[in-house]
Amino acid sequence: MKSYFGIFKMEFKGELQYRAKALAGIATQLFWGLLQVYLYTAFLNSGSVDGFSISQMASYIWLGQAFFALRYVTMPKRVGQEITNGNVCYKFVRPIGIYNQWYAEGIAQKLAATLLRFAPIIIIGFLLPKSIALSLPVSVGAFFLFLLALILGLFMSHSLSMFAVYLTFKTLSEKGSLGIVSSIVNILGGLFIPLPILPQALQEVLRYLPFSYITDLPFRIYIGNVGIIDGLIYIGIGLAWLVAIIAIGKLLIGRALKKTVVQGG
Amino acid sequence: MLYKNYIKMHMKSSFQYRFNMMFVAFNQLLIMVGEILSVYLLFLQFESVAGWTFYESLLMLGVIYTVYSFVEAFARGYDEFPKLVQSGELDRFMIRPVNIHYQIFGSRFEFTKFPRIILGIVVSVIALVNMSVDWNVWKVLVLIATYICGSFVIFGLFLLSAGISIYTVENLEFLNIVTNGSKELAFYPINIYAKWFTRIFTFVIPIACFNYLPLSFIMETGSVPMWLCGVSPLLGMLFVLPCLLFFNLSLRHYKSTGT
Repeated sequence: MKSYFGIFKMEFKGELQYRAKALAGIATQLFWGLLQVYLYTAFLNSGSVDGFSISQMASYIWLGQAFFALRYVTMPKRVGQEITNGNVCYKFVRPIGIYNQWYAEGIAQKLAATLLRFAPIIIIGFLLPKSIALSLPVSVGAFFLFLLALILGLFMSHSLSMFAVYLTFKTLSEKGSLGIVSSIVNILGGLFIPLPILPQALQEVLRYLPFSYITDLPFRIYIGNVGIIDGLIYIGIGLAWLVAIIAIGKLLIGRALKKTVVQGG
Repeated sequence: MLYKNYIKMHMKSSFQYRFNMMFVAFNQLLIMVGEILSVYLLFLQFESVAGWTFYESLLMLGVIYTVYSFVEAFARGYDEFPKLVQSGELDRFMIRPVNIHYQIFGSRFEFTKFPRIILGIVVSVIALVNMSVDWNVWKVLVLIATYICGSFVIFGLFLLSAGISIYTVENLEFLNIVTNGSKELAFYPINIYAKWFTRIFTFVIPIACFNYLPLSFIMETGSVPMWLCGVSPLLGMLFVLPCLLFFNLSLRHYKSTGT
């Protein structure tokens, strides 16, 4: 456990070095947020959706911008290179499992990137004109449940990202593998379009797939689209998914590692 | 011709990584399908937005996909211009006795964008077939001008962000807003956004000139005078001139990174 914490600390510190980049990122986030809020405002003005008013939608969008680093599928840094250039063999000699090593690295990077970026967007979101602003959570209970669901989302996001690592082993193409996995996660996880705005039947299906547990569930809890009790049930389902996905990921990567041939270097 | 050699060279090098190229192209198609599906689902839920129906909006998507992918395929060098600046490769371009723009055009070529151009055209055709329009010669001309205008404006944006990168050296994430932001904005008729937002993207960056203005002309709707809607694509094309000027002036300020 101590060694995982060590990896975690190291990656976290590394991520904190990129402060200027984070600052430039905030401007981008604001622009995308505005774009989406205006877009869906136009749609919601043409017809309404139950449990998703314009102000709830605005909150959903701003939360999405604030926690965008958590939502995106990313491979732990360097992993793609390590696999393609063969440096992965150094990981073999360390006394902890490779999957766990990468898992800890990835979680640390994602968490650091998120913590660096979320606060300014949240603050600006609250300060915006009322019609496009981020609102407070519906209740104190909902807020704590939101945080809990968000932590689940972090792990879910990264566990799904690990499939990209597996695909990289198979294809040796980091960009391609990452692209495929992130496209699927983005489409089904509500990054292209907020899930609560979709037709009801489709929502029913997506609700039970793992992708909506990344950020859709926490945001729904925050805006009151999902109640506390329902929220707890969904978190339970999400946890079951998480265990299953980690198990499958571990199995696949374990298999890929057995077949790995490192060519000199 | 030199340009032909450039293309041949890029073709050879891209096809060395055939699998990777297919992967990337497939993935881009997947994203596009996801985006088209999103638009479809939104209209399934809402039927219309600010008076525009699904196929009218879909045409906008078709236009921006076609022109953006077209510019990305051929003018990728400008998109990746910061890399030329960072690596100092631009120095080499400057001492060669060939026009610099010619070389930048030749420096990159994206074959993976071709499926997107085709899909863009397919989407446009599907939209056009399903729209109820009284076609006449003027409308056809305006439609063609729309695509040309779109390519010019997007290329202008690429020039703009490439020019800025001469000063910043770093590839700053917010430059993305200029190019990618304009793209995403143009997925829908842009007058559905807030007034000030629409104005910026009409008068500062003329996205509207290949977006809702020609669409208004073709559909004969909207509050903007028809003749103005009709000539808007021509006016929009002019945007590329100041961008080109800016890029050329910036190039004079170029200081090599020295590596």
